[in-house]
Amino acid sequence: MRQNRTGWIFLSPSLIILFIVGMLPFFYIMYVGFFDWNVFSVSRGLHYSGLDNYRRLVFDKDFLKSLELTIKFAAYAILFQLLIGYFLANMLAIDFPGKSIFRIIHTIPLMIAPLAVGATWRLLTIPGLGPVPFYLDRWLGFDYRISANADQAFWTTVIMDVWHWTPFVTLTMLAGLVSLPQEPMEQALVDGANRLQVFWYVKLPLLRPVILSTVFIRLMDALRTVDEVWMLTGGGPGAATRYTGLHIWRIVFPKTDYGYGAATSLLTLYFTIVLSWLLYTAIGQQRRGGAS
Amino acid sequence: MIVISARSRVELFDRPNFIIHSFFEENYTNIIYDSTFRGYMFNSVIVATCNALLVTILALLATYALSRWRLTGADNIFFWTITNRMAPPAVFLLPLFLMFTKWFKIGDWTLFDTRTGLILLYCVFNLPFSIWVLQGMIDGIPVELDEAAMVDGAGTGMILRRIIIPLAAPGLAITAILSWIFAWNEYLFAATLTSVHARTITTGLAEFVTVTGTNWGEMAAVATLTLIPSLAFISFVQRYIVMGLTFGAVKE
Amino acid sequence: MVLAILSSFSLSVNAQGDEDWWATAAAPYEGVTIRGISESTPPSNYVADVLAPQFQELTGIEVEFEPTSWDQMYDKAIKDMEAATGIYDFVYIEQDIIYGYLAQDYLVDLTQTLEDNPDLVSPDFSIDDFTTFIDSFIKPENGHLYGVPMEAFVKPYLYRTDLFEDPDIMAAFEAEYGYALAPATNHQQYTDIAKFFTEYGEANDMDLWGSTVQAASGHPSSFYEVFESVMPTFGVYNWGINQDNWKATVENGGEMNSDTAKAALQWWLDLLQYAPPESTSSTWDEVAATFAAGRAAQGLVYGENAAWIASDTERSQVVGEVGVALPPLEEGVMEAAEAGDGYIGYYDGGAFGIPHSSKNKEAALLFLQYIGQPSVQADWAAAGSRIVHDATFSDPIVVDMDAQTNGYYTLMLDQGYLFAGAPPFPFHPQVREVVAPFIYQAIAGEITAAEALDQAAVAAEEELVRLGYGE
Repeated sequence: MRQNRTGWIFLSPSLIILFIVGMLPFFYIMYVGFFDWNVFSVSRGLHYSGLDNYRRLVFDKDFLKSLELTIKFAAYAILFQLLIGYFLANMLAIDFPGKSIFRIIHTIPLMIAPLAVGATWRLLTIPGLGPVPFYLDRWLGFDYRISANADQAFWTTVIMDVWHWTPFVTLTMLAGLVSLPQEPMEQALVDGANRLQVFWYVKLPLLRPVILSTVFIRLMDALRTVDEVWMLTGGGPGAATRYTGLHIWRIVFPKTDYGYGAATSLLTLYFTIVLSWLLYTAIGQQRRGGAS
Repeated sequence: MIVISARSRVELFDRPNFIIHSFFEENYTNIIYDSTFRGYMFNSVIVATCNALLVTILALLATYALSRWRLTGADNIFFWTITNRMAPPAVFLLPLFLMFTKWFKIGDWTLFDTRTGLILLYCVFNLPFSIWVLQGMIDGIPVELDEAAMVDGAGTGMILRRIIIPLAAPGLAITAILSWIFAWNEYLFAATLTSVHARTITTGLAEFVTVTGTNWGEMAAVATLTLIPSLAFISFVQRYIVMGLTFGAVKE
Repeated sequence: MVLAILSSFSLSVNAQGDEDWWATAAAPYEGVTIRGISESTPPSNYVADVLAPQFQELTGIEVEFEPTSWDQMYDKAIKDMEAATGIYDFVYIEQDIIYGYLAQDYLVDLTQTLEDNPDLVSPDFSIDDFTTFIDSFIKPENGHLYGVPMEAFVKPYLYRTDLFEDPDIMAAFEAEYGYALAPATNHQQYTDIAKFFTEYGEANDMDLWGSTVQAASGHPSSFYEVFESVMPTFGVYNWGINQDNWKATVENGGEMNSDTAKAALQWWLDLLQYAPPESTSSTWDEVAATFAAGRAAQGLVYGENAAWIASDTERSQVVGEVGVALPPLEEGVMEAAEAGDGYIGYYDGGAFGIPHSSKNKEAALLFLQYIGQPSVQADWAAAGSRIVHDATFSDPIVVDMDAQTNGYYTLMLDQGYLFAGAPPFPFHPQVREVVAPFIYQAIAGEITAAEALDQAAVAAEEELVRLGYGE
């Protein structure tokens, strides 16, 4: 094809910037991960400790629990986002009165800063003061105490994430739906398939690249959620919503345990990359499969 | 949130309800007349806009290169750029803080508390995202168009201007818009790496969580105010978002 | 240079002697910019809005003051000092972190610096003007000052005078419990009163509960209420950590999981049933807001809130109905506190200090003396209800506020010595972060008070060993 040099020239600014703001910190974190470094320990500064941080990490119950919670959180949140997003996208694909207004309104959550999302939800759900527990109690007799009940807190964070990010999923789904070729579906109907079969065997496979891309982006972000949950529950009650991002935040901010925090971060990052890589190769196959 | 912002402090702790008794406009006027907050707003606008422009241009060049040239390891490079978005932010603040205050230092000048610093830094999450969205789109533009133009004697710059940019316009728009929103809403980096001059509106939001009574009313007012530019943006470009994603996500 | 001398000369002719001194002393630093960071609180905001511009005009030294959130303030100040980046020329030091900062040798020795630079010693600044709170910022080893106090308060027991002095309520209470209704002096009385008012609120369909509880289930404020406000009233001091060997469990000579400590935690957890439902998400902010909204009959509330709760009609619904008293105590605790062997509650506040990494130490030192001089104290006290000078207590503004708060300032002046700040631990946030999750779990009801403290004590010891304290 064309001269490679031009290609590299076009690519290089991006690579250089990402190297500086992404890789340099990464190398530094990798380095710190091999050290014992807590600002307020008796012996100041960095002390080489080899793989001790990682050894400690594997047996760290709190970390493993937060990892498990995070995966649960991401899985539920993304699942619901896909379902609701798909439903809304189907709605938006057809015409109905007030559609353009609805389209704008439903994207509002996407625009709000995560910090403000957390603050708003906190105000809505404060037991005794927020409208949500008040009306749940009055209308349904449901005792809703986000700050005392672990399950309720977990599900509230899931619902908050769904509320915040479903519009994003809807938009990508809509994009996918709009550009679907109509012939295969019509053909299938002609061949006597029912609606469910068409959906399962024809529509879904065609939508798979979109779904996977969406999941890819959402997974990346859900696994590192901090701001919203920090505002809403602070990780409580107990450790019910102490997701990995927040867990690490607690290790390095108040505890100033930089070495251990670095190791925790790296392991989490590694884990995220592996998950993403699996998804990515799946998408890659889709892409290549679609092209040929 | 809008409801809360309209209520006074005393009202906030009354029985919960969704009705606005009196529009407690002081929450708004307090903020609008506060020059500090106008400064924060201004910083946010500059940072988000410059970052969105920068990211879009860089991502366009990068994806164009990845799509049209057979570069060694292009697939891996592509994936690598995206991994930059995955890092849990808390720990990375430490090296970033050092970078902003010590590593890049020219005389007394550092990146700390500068808008430039934030504009560059936000590339770390916006650039991967933009490359991811744009990649599909650029791949979707038939290579034959390039080749035809080349036969007509057009250079690479000409091809970009005449063919790629117009055809990818919806995608570029959505990239810019979403990057703008991500940058506008970012909190943690801005809070750690700015001090007085380059503070953004989201860090201002956090300032309202003060010791003597979290000022929920004003906080909600700030949150509402921060929402307005995004809202204006989104209703303006709604069309492009759908178009952009259509091109980006599914390519035939 | 000539101009500068001329202008300072002309100033001295017109202005007071004071201003002349500041201008002369600051002359070498004119045009310098000093940068400081603090928590965004009313006292800090007063510094940013009023004192810093005044100082700037007087001296030509520019002050960039960054008020930010509590977490951010610590994070940035510590990063700055640990990495010696030299961004900040003065930092906010809360009383509980000073020992950590001193152990890491982050701070400039103010006494020494003033001795070395006689030109910088302001005639208006004297350590003797300050309340005993300044002792928190003096290093015991050398008796030198490391921070200039800018705010201070105690955490008193607030109660609603309108409820406690209502004849019908008083009669009903006495009929039920057999003694007269008055601010509780021990824990049993406190619980009785809490129970009584919760039932009273229910019976009369009021939004009223018996007590505030600062029990946020994911925020360190609940840890602080347990260990710094409640435990001492039971006679468990210094978080139950033995300062001779840095151990927390009873087996190793600590007290964190002693029976008394467990009883204290249990008492506090039991209060939750008599507290408004928002208590499990209440930090210090919301506790004050809850009390100000009239939702609780009594509670332990940070004193910096006492003034606005008692006087600011825009933010409080209980103006003029706030009484102040000492926290309820177990037997013997008061005697111990009076003898100096213990304390009955929390005395906190903060100061400004100068990091070693600062590049403008002299200019910063001038600023610290400026905010520490007597003439700025009274207005500052009015704006931020904070007092660090003895003389400020008798200022008309404060006397007036004292009347509105039913004697909060008198209590602070007369009985402040019974309260104490956080224990002198150089590892304060580290151990707090380890212990707090067990308190969160106890609040959520996942574990009992005894289990929480047993596990917390073991975890605290492990963390202390990791940090290098005790073997």
